[in-house]
Amino acid sequence: MNPEKAILPETVGAWKAAAAPRKIDAGNIFDYMNGAGELYLAYHFDHMLAWEYRDGSDNDLLVELYRMQGSDDAFGLLSLDWGGEAVAWPHGAKIIPSSAAVPPARALYGEGLLRLWSDDLYARVMAVRETPAAREAILVLAQAIVAGRSDPPPPALLRLLPTVLNPQWKLKIDRSAFIRSHLVLNSLYYLSHDNILGLDSSCEAVFTSYEKEGRRLHLLVIQYADDRSAEQGLAGFLAGYIPEGAKGGPATPPAELGFFLVEDGWLGFHKAGRRLAVVFQCPDLDAARRIVAQVGLEN
Amino acid sequence: MKKKRVIVTRRDFIRGSAGAALGAALLGPAWLKAEAKAAGGQRSLVVIVRDAKAMDANLSVDKQAVASMLEQALAQVTGKADARAAWLSLVKPTDIVGLVPTPHLNPTHDQLIEVVRESLVAAGVPSGHIVHAQGRDVDLAPITALICLPALKAHWLTGIGTVIKNYILYSGAPRNYHHQDSAKLGEIWNLPQVKGKTRLVLVDALHPLCDKGPQPDPRYKWAYNGLIASLDPVAVDAVGLKIISAKREALRGEPWPISPPPICIEAADKVYKLGNSDPAKIDIKVFGWKENLLV
Repeated sequence: MNPEKAILPETVGAWKAAAAPRKIDAGNIFDYMNGAGELYLAYHFDHMLAWEYRDGSDNDLLVELYRMQGSDDAFGLLSLDWGGEAVAWPHGAKIIPSSAAVPPARALYGEGLLRLWSDDLYARVMAVRETPAAREAILVLAQAIVAGRSDPPPPALLRLLPTVLNPQWKLKIDRSAFIRSHLVLNSLYYLSHDNILGLDSSCEAVFTSYEKEGRRLHLLVIQYADDRSAEQGLAGFLAGYIPEGAKGGPATPPAELGFFLVEDGWLGFHKAGRRLAVVFQCPDLDAARRIVAQVGLEN
Repeated sequence: MKKKRVIVTRRDFIRGSAGAALGAALLGPAWLKAEAKAAGGQRSLVVIVRDAKAMDANLSVDKQAVASMLEQALAQVTGKADARAAWLSLVKPTDIVGLVPTPHLNPTHDQLIEVVRESLVAAGVPSGHIVHAQGRDVDLAPITALICLPALKAHWLTGIGTVIKNYILYSGAPRNYHHQDSAKLGEIWNLPQVKGKTRLVLVDALHPLCDKGPQPDPRYKWAYNGLIASLDPVAVDAVGLKIISAKREALRGEPWPISPPPICIEAADKVYKLGNSDPAKIDIKVFGWKENLLV
């Protein structure tokens, strides 16, 4: 049985499903999204089903259910933007935090668009125009999507993000994102159009920001598939981003701890096993040293 | 000897050397030649016409208001007295005129396409000479004039996805122009079947999109209620970028730079010679509604 077949109702409020859902996979996602399917392919995308609901007044609802290969990937898509009103079911239910490093929301609504993460599903439910009735219909559809599904915790890698970095840099939880690709990283924090860190679908990474007295610094923690990949990732980063720091040839493993003053502040990195942490835009060397030391890569 | 690969990074943008680094990385000697010729050049005019009533609270477009905005934009861009004279300074009645709207993400409003068509017909261009010209299957050979009609929008892979990117499907291989290669978008404007045909760039800035994609997110759309017109495609993109950047900062209340940086604009200027990207060389004239102008 198609597991998605019975998820959504035929009608919701004044809206009626227009036809059977359209199935999108890696082979046709570029047609569906005008050549911009990379976002979903940057995570472990399996397929997507798209439904249209019509109310006869041109205020269509579009439901897109992205079936990912794991919960972390669906979470990653939601984590790219924590804006909007947190929604829980039943209506008004308390939202229980599942990680100190990210907002507790699993569904976010704003101006006619609801996005949600439910286990291995990421969903977008959107109205052409936001109206009270459209909002209600969107929430009903979203509730139908999540009904009976489990709520796994966010990616374990988030646990490596300290909520406070000494001295008093506070984690901006609404800037914490789970990523696997340099394209997605660039959409959050541009480093290079080249994939200098060697990110790919075998990697897990979290990117976030910390704030202190109006100043920001940024932290990237990557878990590569293995130690060798991490070594290559660091070497590529040094060669591409800090060529003045890339000593030795390809056969020489880079130092696993380093600090550099670059154009926008101090940069520090620390590699331990298959994990790499890089902190950007630190105000001084001392801060960079202390911050890198506080990210427990060995945990 | 193996050529050393140039990698463009955030540091190049902070140093202000990104243009040179990109040019060298992507275009090699062509960039150096272009740099040598870059000094001087003409100024560009960009006209912004806005009407607070161009859309109502339900975002329905007032076609009459848009028609009036178009008329004013045409007259100001060309320096002619009215829309008819303006069109006839840009196209001939014998031209086959291709209209190139944006079909995806933040589509060009149908009402704008309709008023452009109607205005052209009123100027004496036969209706049968006006064709839809967006898409990879369009035969550009018989088309003698193009009106570039994109909607103003940010793009998650190229930074901005408005004017220079609007002809991407003419390349036949749009995926070749994403990521770093978005710097090469300008080369599409110089393809033999495209070069020199664009007579007017008219950006639909009624309801722009300042972030996200690949799908629209209504939280990042707002009623700007404007049209932006120019004969210079690069200058319009530069002004659009300014508007989008200002809106992003206003939304967050803090700097929120477009990421990745829209490298296609500077390259379109300095490498492909399509127009001016330098704000110091762009004159902006504003007409109509001035609230939250963002330039």
